[in-house]
Parts: sequence; structure tokens; C-alpha cells
Amino acid sequence: MSTCSVSKGCFVFKPSPKKRRVSPKTAEYFKEANNDSEDSGLRFATCQSLWKQIKSETEQVQEELNKQLFDNLVSFLRRSHSEFQEKTTEWTCRMKSREIPTAALVLGVNVTDHDLTFKSLSEVLQNNITPYVALLQAKDCPGIKNLMQKLMGQLMNCCIDVDSSDEEDYVQVSQHRIRCSMTSLISWYENITKKTDSETPSKKRISRHLQSPPVVVIFKDMESFTTKVLQDFIGISSLLPHSVSSLLCIELFQSLSCKEHLSTIIDKLLLTTQFAFKLSEKVLQVLINIFLYHDFSVQNFIKGFQLCIVEHFHSQPLSVLCCQLVEAKKRVNSLSHSQCENIRRLPSFRRYVESQVSEKQIALLTADNFLKEVIQKLLEDLHVYHENYVPVLRCLHVFTSSLPKYPLGKQIRELHCACLENRVWETEEYESSLQLARMLNKSDLVTMLQKCVEIFVSSSGKEFDKVVEKLKEFLAQFQKLEAGACQERGESVSSQKELQKKTDLYHLQKTLLELKESRRSKKLTKFEMLRFEVVDFIDNLVRNYLVPADHKTLHEIMYFNTASALREHLNAAPRIALHTALNNPYCYLKNQALKSDGGSISNKAPDICIVYKLHLECGRLINLVDWLEAFSTVVMAVEGTNEDAAASDQVDDIIHARFIQAVSELELLGFIKPSKQKTDHVARLTWGGC
Amino acid sequence: MSQPEGKGGAALEVRFVPDEDVLKHIADDAGTAGLGQRPPDTHLESESEYSASCSEEEEEEEEQKEANTVVSGRKTPAKTKAASTPPSQKTLSKKMKDDKMSNLVEEYFEAHSSSKVLTSDRTLQKLHKRRLNQETLRDLLKKAPLAFAPEIKELNQQHECLFSKWMLQLHLGFNIVLYGLGSKRDLLEKFRTSVLQDSVHLVVNGYFPSITVRSILNSITEEVLEHIGTFRSPLDQLEFIMKRFKEDSSLELYVLIHNLDSQMLRGERSQQILAQLSSLPSIYLIASVDHINAPLMWDQAKQSLYNWLWYETTTFSPYVEETSYENSLLVQQSGSLALSSLTHVLRSLTPNARGIFRLLAQYQLENKDNPSYPGLSFQDFYQQCREAFLVNSDLTLRAQLTEFRDHKLIRTKRGADGVEYLLIPVDDSTLTDFLEKEDEDV
Repeated sequence: MSTCSVSKGCFVFKPSPKKRRVSPKTAEYFKEANNDSEDSGLRFATCQSLWKQIKSETEQVQEELNKQLFDNLVSFLRRSHSEFQEKTTEWTCRMKSREIPTAALVLGVNVTDHDLTFKSLSEVLQNNITPYVALLQAKDCPGIKNLMQKLMGQLMNCCIDVDSSDEEDYVQVSQHRIRCSMTSLISWYENITKKTDSETPSKKRISRHLQSPPVVVIFKDMESFTTKVLQDFIGISSLLPHSVSSLLCIELFQSLSCKEHLSTIIDKLLLTTQFAFKLSEKVLQVLINIFLYHDFSVQNFIKGFQLCIVEHFHSQPLSVLCCQLVEAKKRVNSLSHSQCENIRRLPSFRRYVESQVSEKQIALLTADNFLKEVIQKLLEDLHVYHENYVPVLRCLHVFTSSLPKYPLGKQIRELHCACLENRVWETEEYESSLQLARMLNKSDLVTMLQKCVEIFVSSSGKEFDKVVEKLKEFLAQFQKLEAGACQERGESVSSQKELQKKTDLYHLQKTLLELKESRRSKKLTKFEMLRFEVVDFIDNLVRNYLVPADHKTLHEIMYFNTASALREHLNAAPRIALHTALNNPYCYLKNQALKSDGGSISNKAPDICIVYKLHLECGRLINLVDWLEAFSTVVMAVEGTNEDAAASDQVDDIIHARFIQAVSELELLGFIKPSKQKTDHVARLTWGGC
Repeated sequence: MSQPEGKGGAALEVRFVPDEDVLKHIADDAGTAGLGQRPPDTHLESESEYSASCSEEEEEEEEQKEANTVVSGRKTPAKTKAASTPPSQKTLSKKMKDDKMSNLVEEYFEAHSSSKVLTSDRTLQKLHKRRLNQETLRDLLKKAPLAFAPEIKELNQQHECLFSKWMLQLHLGFNIVLYGLGSKRDLLEKFRTSVLQDSVHLVVNGYFPSITVRSILNSITEEVLEHIGTFRSPLDQLEFIMKRFKEDSSLELYVLIHNLDSQMLRGERSQQILAQLSSLPSIYLIASVDHINAPLMWDQAKQSLYNWLWYETTTFSPYVEETSYENSLLVQQSGSLALSSLTHVLRSLTPNARGIFRLLAQYQLENKDNPSYPGLSFQDFYQQCREAFLVNSDLTLRAQLTEFRDHKLIRTKRGADGVEYLLIPVDDSTLTDFLEKEDEDV
């Protein structure tokens, strides 16, 4: 069956049920996409399990972050509802009962992340407060009728959930047939509360809820609702035609900012040894840039992360080793010969081989078994590197995050990127932060050291016992200094006193000079010495443990490095692609005839390129006749002159047709549009090639 | 953007537009084949460079201001500068970039500063070129050899290697959108025939002029889900589809949309519905976009629903199918679509009603050479219809006309004298065709 038709735009193809593939496995596509099916099954399994772990991890993070917010909301709902129930007689409360308790939830600009939040919110409410929760979205409710219909539908569906055992005839009535009005809603509500009151609350779900549970309506993305619809709804649900905003008793709740959310996610996914998969500096930078400059969406960040995982396992045959150390060691033993060759081809491994003695070099390049042993050792090294990297990074962050102007960035992710990029201790920023650190005051320094001790103690690295010892020693010394400090102060006070004693101008000058002299050449105080020592110690740690990952052998196995792929698929620039294709077809069509220099394009280029190029030279309006003429001049220059009049007429027609085709293509692409300002003119829609 | 010149300067600019055009043309004629010698606009490549050059651009505007006061306005300031100061090798590229930036801005204002358009008055009619109709256009294009066929083929083969990767990513929850110059129809067709043969799939020609979201949803509910019945609104229908797909996990559907950015589908509501559809885990969407502003269709919310992975598939294939429906500027409006709809509607009417329409059509054709033909006035029309025994009262005629109007077969307008005039909004050739066809039928 063809998919071209002048009467139809949609074509459904249904293969006969016999032929239909029975749920094709995603793994098969993974294999198919990999021609060298090198361990592809295992790779895919590893990939999937890793993704599953990461997904659940991120969901957990989200849940924890939302917990506080939800707790507040729940308590607000309980409070407002119980108030309403208890004091119905009081006058103030009766006034209040005309108002609808409302919680305004401010979630920030990252709209796309809200879906999840709302979903879990309505779950929480359903579990803790009331079974009657309706979640309304602006896009579903263009009018008050739709809104009511949605509302009723959701409320009555959830009451099916609750008493699914009872056979209530009204439940069976399809929602379309219920007259969707407030009165029916009220009667439904009275009906349902009567029933739960009369019944003993034996059902577990009900018992957790309040007596005569409130109805909670959640409006998602309130701004995009039509004001009319909202006004109507609030108006009728309070049954009082008062000015609408006075009917809401609003309390504000604020969610965590998305940046904090991202920090937590990065903390949990990247700065941990839990996951073997890592992102290289460039890739991480791309993801963070998309987040900061495009959408503020943590969801999208995670999506990008997923893409990284898929791409990595898909493109790197050695990614089969990208798993927990114990498992990876096992897998090394079963590597095939060609996989061993793959390892030998890794740039980082080649560097490693070159640094070895010649006998070992030969063994590494020829004996697979020896190679495997070495790989195991190297993988272990890499693992230890990661184990040490994270605590030292955090430790360094403790220092840099409190320096004025944050030369190495405020967030740990910035520091992480800097460390991944190149040797951080060679950068200017690092130098200046050390200098600033040498000027920290004592109390700050002590608290920082204490924090560092905590970090190292809680870390899993095995080499940090000595480090902790040393840090504690520093702390003890600082404490000792405190005792000595009084003495020092005494000295300075005495010199001050001396200064006050002399009244003679000559002597005063002399003492001042002396004082200045002594200050300049003054030996460092004990505190300052200690401070230098501490900073040097940290500096040493950094130099030892924060080596960039791409200096490590076999880093290619763990680190996803193809930032270009990521940018291309997530943050594509379709306009630039079009522009390049039109301006410089040689980029795509590798034909020598199209090769050009200085930006002009060959007259043999595809018609659309020529027409495009010609149109760039026109103003706002383009005369079609002139355009056609210019086009045929250009094209004819290639075809050569044809003497035969009849034949040339035909050629003329063909050129005409080609021109028409090219112009309609430009119209389709949105470069021009027909204009009625002048006969046979079109209007240009773009300027300066963009 | 602020122009450096004051009001006087702007006036100056207007005056010299033609000069510049002429200059350009002369320069181009001197060049090889009349094609521009412009360097490729590489500044598009990176946004950071864009912003980096901003401050310097301001500086340059300052300089331009000075230059402008010195030079007595025979040339545009930018040109003066380029000619007078030979820049050192080192700063050349930077300067060129800046020049280009300011040229770009100038170009825009040049083109838009005056309401007068300076183009020649030649028209196609004077060229004695017959307007081609769609069929001859097709035939002619068939005769023209496809340029660079081997290269294009190679390009396509590169894209075809991605098929299984697409399948993998579709199954992992992403949707795929293709962009880049050239028709992606053949590529997607190839994808369909080589990979999707054994699964249920839906092909949507977005470029089809009367495609609607409704028809897409209908084909899913009616043909894929085999549901009989109608829905009150697309939203209901969407909900039904979503429910069905969620309930039955064995249901899977691949949706291929050629030109998701077409005129008919680019609306906010259509995109919202398609985005929601594509967010279902068992619906796999792969679509192509061509318009330069296509990404503007989607806000953050829709983008996250679509969950796109972008793939550049520049094919350089001509957009033959995609442009075949378009009533292009140069193509004679064959009106074949209008004709088929005319006959279709008319066939369902009573013989009398058809006669009424015929009368109107004939009258319109008789007057086709009169450019100020206002239409047939209602009174005259009633008279004629009575004479032909087609109606017996003006009420029946009115009822009939209402029906025509509902089917957009006629248009009424009130003339200056307050009389109602009736017109058939179809071009004359179609109308002639229609009458001929009617005659055959009778």
C-alpha cells in the first residue's frame, strides 16, 4: 500500500496477527544496532540494570525533597478541615466557612518537573487525608463544563476505589450520564459521608482518613486556566456570588529550588562510588549548561543522563566492564581475544604500555592471560582512585566554598568539573584560592578542619586513617595555640603601652619606625605557621588524589566522553544544519565539483542551493521573473549552449520546472512566502542568513 | 537595535539603497557565475562568539558614528571603514565578523526602512511563459536528472545505518525527530518498510492539506483499536486512547509523521494532543520537521512530553511529495482538489439543486471576461430559476442557497447598492471543467 494519496493523510498498517512480532525485545535492537555483537547481551543487561538503579535513586531523592513540603501541606489540610468541623457554631468560623481553605504551591519555573510532584502529592493526600482528591489540569479544562465533568469523574472514580466491594448502583452510571453540577456533587458527597459514618470504619483505608473526609481539588498550573473558568468554579463551589479572591483563604507553600534538587542529584549519581558509570567533564558541562541556560528541568537532566548511559553502552564494546568491581573482575576473565585487542587499542592503555619495561610491554601486547591480570589490577586502581577522589573533592570544596568570590566556584559540581578538566593545581584559580585560604581566620579554619575530619571518617577510602590522624593533630595544635595566644597578646599590649608613655616627638617617631621594622621582619606567629602547614597539607592531598580521570589508565571503560553526540541529540540546532546545507553543500555531498573557497558556491550546486543563494541578494520582496532569469543564467552556464532551438525550448521548460520546484521548497522551509503587494513577487522572511 | 545615525542619517540610508544594489550587481557580474561572493556566515556556529563580540560591536558603532560625520555620505559607513583601514592580519577575522554583524543589522534595516520596494516590474505574463500545471511540472522534473545522485545515495545510506539505533531508542522511551535539508519522506518510508513491516504502524502525511489531529485520532481509534463510535471532543478521544493503551500492555503502535510542522498540525492544540499521545510508553513516534522555525512550536511542557532525540538527516532529496499539494506561486492552480469536492457535494444534491448551481456557474462563466463582475444578484437569480422551473418561491431558493453556503460552494456579498450578489469562489477553469463533467453525466 502506498502512502501517497490525494484524498487521505493517515494510513494504518496492520500486519496479520500471525505475522505480527510477539513483543520484540529491546535487547534485540541493541544487538542489531551493534554489528560487532561483542558481549552485547551482557552489555545491554548491565545498561538496563544500571539505569533502573539510577532511576530509583533519583525518584527517592525527589521523594525526600518533597517530603517536607508535603508534610506541611498535609498538616495544613488537616488543620483547616478540623477547624471547620469543630467550631461550626462560632460566628467567625461561619464567616470562614464561606471561604475555601486554599494552599498555594509555588514550584518554580521548571514546569516539566511538576508532573511527578503532583502525582506523588495526590498519592500522599489520598493516603493520608481523604480519598476524594481531584487533580485538574488546564489543558483538560477549556470550559467550566469540562472542568466539572473532569472533577466529578475523578471524584467518583476514587469512590469506586474505596468501596469496590459494595455494589452501588450509582457507581455504575457512566460519568457522561451524571448531570455534572454542583448540586449533584453535593448530594453525592452527602450520600457518601452518610455511608461511611453509618458503617464501622473497618476498612483500613478509611480509618486512616478523617471523619467525613474533605474533598481536595488540585489545580495544576493555575495560571494557564482561563480566568473565567476559575472564577465560575470558585464562585459556584462556595455557592456565594462574592468577589472571588475573597472566597479563598490562601496559605503559601514553597518548594525547594530546582538548583538544590540538581545538586542533590549530582551528589547522589556522580559523586559516589555506587555507580561505576561516570561522565566526563565535557559531557557533564553540556548537561549542566542545558539545565542552566535552557530549562531548569531536573527531569531533562536525568533524561540526558539516560541518553549518556545508552550511548556509552552502545558505542563502547568494553563497557561490559563498567560495573561493580567484583563483577568486573569476574568478567575480565571471560573476555574474548578481540575484546583484549580492544583494550590494547585504548589510548590510555597504550600510554600505560609505553611506560612499562620492554619485556612487560611484549607480554601485555601478546599474552591475553597476562593482560587480563593486569586489567584486573588496573580496574582496582581505578576503583581506589574513585574511592579517594570523592572525599578529597568534598574536602577541597569545604575550603573553596567559603572563600570570598569563590575562585573555584560555589557549587561542588563546578569544582568537580574543574578537577576533571585538567590538573586543578595548575590553574590560576586554584593558586588564588590557596592564597585566600592562607588568610582564613582561626575559627573558620577549625570548623573546616572538623568538617574534613567528618568527611574522611565517613568515607570508604582505606588510605585516610593517616590523613584523619594528621587533621586531628592539627586541631589539637590549634587548641594549644589558644592557651599561648594570651601570652602573645600580653606582649603586644606592652609595646602599646610603651607607645603611650613616650611623649617626646623624636622618640615617638623612633619607636614607630622600630615597630614598623619589627613588623616587617617579624617572624610568623605560631598560628600563621600552622595555617601554612594546614594549607600545604590540603594542597598535597589535592595533588595526590584529584588527578583528572582521563590521566588514569582504562578510564574509557567508565567515562562517557562523546559530548558532541549528546549536544546533537538533545540540543540540536536545526537552523544551523539547514543553513550549512544550503550555503555549503560540500559539507554533505562530497563531490569535488562542489568544493568551494571563500564562501561562494559552485554553479553546479543543487538547485535549491542556487536559488537560496540568489535570494540572499534580494531585499524584502523578490521579483519571480528576475529570480527565474538569474537562476537560468547560472544553470545554463553549466549546461552549455544548445544550438537546436526546439531542444533549447525544452531545456528552458525543464529549467523553469526546476526553478518552480526549488522555490516551493524554499517556501516549505519557511524562507519565503507569497506576497500580494506586487504581482509575481514573494516576500523574504529571513535576514542575514538567520 | 539602535541605529547609530540620527533621523537624518536614516534618510540618507534610504537614498542609497539602490546604489548599493547596483554596486552589488556589478560586483556579482564581474564574479564568476553571478553568485554572491559572501563568505559563509560562520558566526552562526557558536552563540558564545556572538555574545563575546557584542561589546566590540558597540565600539564599532561608535567608530561608525565618527566615520559618518567625516565622510559626506556617498557610501555607507561600514564600507568606508572596510576600505579605508586595512586591518592587520591578526585582527582581520575578528573585524570581518564584526562587519558581518553590523552588515546583517544594516541589511535588515535597509530592507525595512522604506515602504517602497525597489524591484523591477516584470511579470510572468510578459515573459510569455505558460503557467505549468502540476502534471506537466512533474513530467518535466522527471526529465531533469537528479544532480549528485551517488553522493545523495551515500548520504542516505549513512542515515539508514541508524535504523536499528532508532528502534532501540524508541523502545527506551525516547521519540525521534529528524531535521535537515531535503525530503525525509523516502528515508522514513525505507525505515517503515525495512523495520516496521511486522508491527502495527500509522503513517501520517503532515503535508496533506486537509490533515487534522482528529483524523489522526480517528485512524487510531477506528483502525488500530477497532472501536466503533464517535467522541464528543478530541480530548475525550485522546483519553480513550490513553486508557486503552495503558490497560493493554501488548498494544504497541509506531507513528510516523512526515512534516510534523506542517500548516495543519503546527497549532498549539494539535501539538498538545500529539505530544500527549507520544508520551505514552507504548506509542513510538518518529517525525520529521523542515520549517526553519519548527522548534518554536514546542514549549518546555510539550518538549518534555515528546521527549525528543534529535537526529540530523540531511538528504538533499527534492521535496516532491511535500510540495505537490501546495498551490505554489508559479504552478497553475489546477484546482483538481476543488473540482473533486465540487462534484462530490453536488452529487449528493437533488437534481433541482444541481440545476440551480449550474445556472449560477454558467452565468459566472459568461461574465468571466468582465473584471468588475460583482456576481449574480439574488433577484435576477430568482427570476432565472423560476423561468427554468427550478424553484417556486424565493424561500425555497433561499433554503437552497443556505445549503450551498454551508458547503462553501457559494459566497454572498452585498454590493454598494445593498443588493445581495452571489459568487462561486472557484477559478474559471475549474468551473469549466465542472460544467463539462456535469454535461457528461447528464
